Amino acid sequence: MTNPYTPMLILVALGAGFVIFSVGLAQIVGPKRYNRAKAEAYECGIQPSPQAAEGGRFPIKYYLTAMLFIIFDIEAVFLYPYAVAFDQLGLFTLLAMFLFLLNAFFIADAYVWKRGGFEWD
Amino acid sequence: MSLVNYIYLSAILFSIGGAVVLLRRNAIIVFMGVELMLNAANLAFITFARMHGQLDGQVIALFVMVVASAEVVVGLAIIMAIFRSRRSASIDNANLLKA
Amino acid sequence: MPTVFEAPEINWAAIAPMLVVMAGGLIGIVVEAFVPRRRRHSVQVALSVVALVLAFVALVTLTVDNRVKTLGGSVVMDGMSVFLQGSLIVFGLLGVLTMAEKFGGDRPDAFTPMGAAIPGSAYEAAADRAGLATSEVFPLALFSLSGMMMFVAAGDLITMFVALEVLSLPLYVLVGLARRRRLLSQEASLKYFLLGAFASAFFLFGSALLYGYAATTDLDGIAAAITETRPGLEPLLVPAILLVLVGLLFKVGAVPFHSWTPDAYQGAPTPVTGFMAAATKLAAFGAILRFVYVGVEGTRWSWEVGLAVIAALTMVVGAVLSVTQTDIKRLLAYSSIAHAGFILVGVLAFSTLGLRGVMFYLLAYGLMTIAAFAIVSMVRQGGTEATQLSQWAGLGQRHPILAATFGFLLLAFAGIPLTSGFTAKFAAFAPAIESGTLGVVLVVIGVLASAVTAFVYVRIIVLMYFSDATSEDVVAAEASPLTTAAVAVGAVATVVLGIVPGPVLELAAQASELIR
Repeated sequence: MTNPYTPMLILVALGAGFVIFSVGLAQIVGPKRYNRAKAEAYECGIQPSPQAAEGGRFPIKYYLTAMLFIIFDIEAVFLYPYAVAFDQLGLFTLLAMFLFLLNAFFIADAYVWKRGGFEWD
Repeated sequence: MSLVNYIYLSAILFSIGGAVVLLRRNAIIVFMGVELMLNAANLAFITFARMHGQLDGQVIALFVMVVASAEVVVGLAIIMAIFRSRRSASIDNANLLKA
Repeated sequence: MPTVFEAPEINWAAIAPMLVVMAGGLIGIVVEAFVPRRRRHSVQVALSVVALVLAFVALVTLTVDNRVKTLGGSVVMDGMSVFLQGSLIVFGLLGVLTMAEKFGGDRPDAFTPMGAAIPGSAYEAAADRAGLATSEVFPLALFSLSGMMMFVAAGDLITMFVALEVLSLPLYVLVGLARRRRLLSQEASLKYFLLGAFASAFFLFGSALLYGYAATTDLDGIAAAITETRPGLEPLLVPAILLVLVGLLFKVGAVPFHSWTPDAYQGAPTPVTGFMAAATKLAAFGAILRFVYVGVEGTRWSWEVGLAVIAALTMVVGAVLSVTQTDIKRLLAYSSIAHAGFILVGVLAFSTLGLRGVMFYLLAYGLMTIAAFAIVSMVRQGGTEATQLSQWAGLGQRHPILAATFGFLLLAFAGIPLTSGFTAKFAAFAPAIESGTLGVVLVVIGVLASAVTAFVYVRIIVLMYFSDATSEDVVAAEASPLTTAAVAVGAVATVVLGIVPGPVLELAAQASELIR
């Protein structure tokens, strides 16, 4: 039996190799045309400089996003232990999990969605 | 290392959290103190679970984490509402209600 | 090798009332999402009422015959749970009726059109013009109520903790939703939230220490562990019990954990104040009864005196400070603190009769409180509630029926004979006297404190009837049948429980059994 850490090391090496290969290939092969938009923060977030936002305060929308995140956060806390042992837990817990998802996820999200919580502007 | 030390640690963390709640004046910091107290309780639960050779304490810790995060949402919403209407999160400024 | 998982046995009939109330809240959220705005209010009110009525029907048809410990011991549906849950559903129903009151407007009168808007901002004004309304208050109230129902039936500390939060979190939000005096309401919400979270942290740390002591959070398990010797763990027990009691006593507003009570009661929308004064107090006392009677009675001698001191302090401070109040809502808040003390005296009797007395007291007190706050919400000056006592001067001359009802409820608060307040105090104090010297001392303090509060209440009655009005424009708003019904139920119950308390006392006696 080999050392149990060997597969992990191989995985790390594979991952690093893939990153180096793909980024390196893009550097060599890809076209290079710069413009302002490309120098900005990628897709999400607000201009990081000179100040994070007007007066250095974050817009209130971010707090809303942070609160919505909690819905998913809470789900993961229970889904993870369940996923680890679900094959031993039987039908009862499967149904319980469905009920939990329905209550904590679908109903909450339906409310947020219909009331415009996911709209940024 | 003896497991009892973790209990001492959790008691110390709980006391620090309590002191933060009583001494600090910013609602967000006060709130962080409360969270510290909850997590101190979590540490105690997990340590006792280990001492008794059970899993119950760890499961309880999960429940407490969930409840604590739900509390964060409600707390932040209330503090934000206050902050927006007064431009201040100081609990000393919240003094309209007096006996 | 992990043991095979066994699903816990669930007695659906026993927990049906709780499930119905929770389902009502969840459907309420869906209604908020999908029903057009104009119809939300009426749909929500109808849904809440239907859910509560169904829950009550389920309770009296299914649960009463299924008095069991279920869900792996975490829910205990015994006589006490059934009685208290039934009372909670009634309070919830009356609370929903008062919350739905519109006073002739086009939306609930007590709640802000937009909780998130800055008070006085253009956005708030726009929300008001657009006819928005926070109809979320009904699902929130149902969730809170389901937490309370779970709280009185919780058989282990962690269920109790989760229930505590489920009942508290919606209340924190509800407190901050008043339509007028928004800043006051938000501030009340912040104070209630910060102190409530602080207290629940104490409760949780106490539970952690009890878990360390007993290796279980089950109340029976803890009771069993107390009878054994547990080498090395003994020092944990008493601090643990005290920490848990701090968390629970906070919720009932016992001195020295009462400082949130007047602020939250004053700032909250008045129907919410009535609901939480009645229901939270009942739920928290239910949890105290179960924790103290089932869980830790075995080591009673080590904390009994502490609890007695708290009871005495609560009665004295509540009664004395209510003398100095000039705001009717704050005055009723201090009176509720004093009542918490009276009920604690009954708890300290440690007998089945004491249990009966406390349950009867909680029911009687809750009914009069909801009615009293409903009347407070009706008395207006210039469209806002006239909560200053001076504004109530001469009310009896202009609105004799309203003032008479309020005066009668105040007499019930004071415990005058022929009102439910008297029967309740008698039912709670008599077992305390039989329990020994400590009980006698507490009852003497209780009677003296009652005399002080009686002075306060009589002063208000004198003010209403024998003083000249300071301004003529203080009027009682024209109430819809909703509020009228809530007031009528509260007042009639106060009369009936005062004159013929027999049947309800008998019911409470039958219900005073705890499954261990």
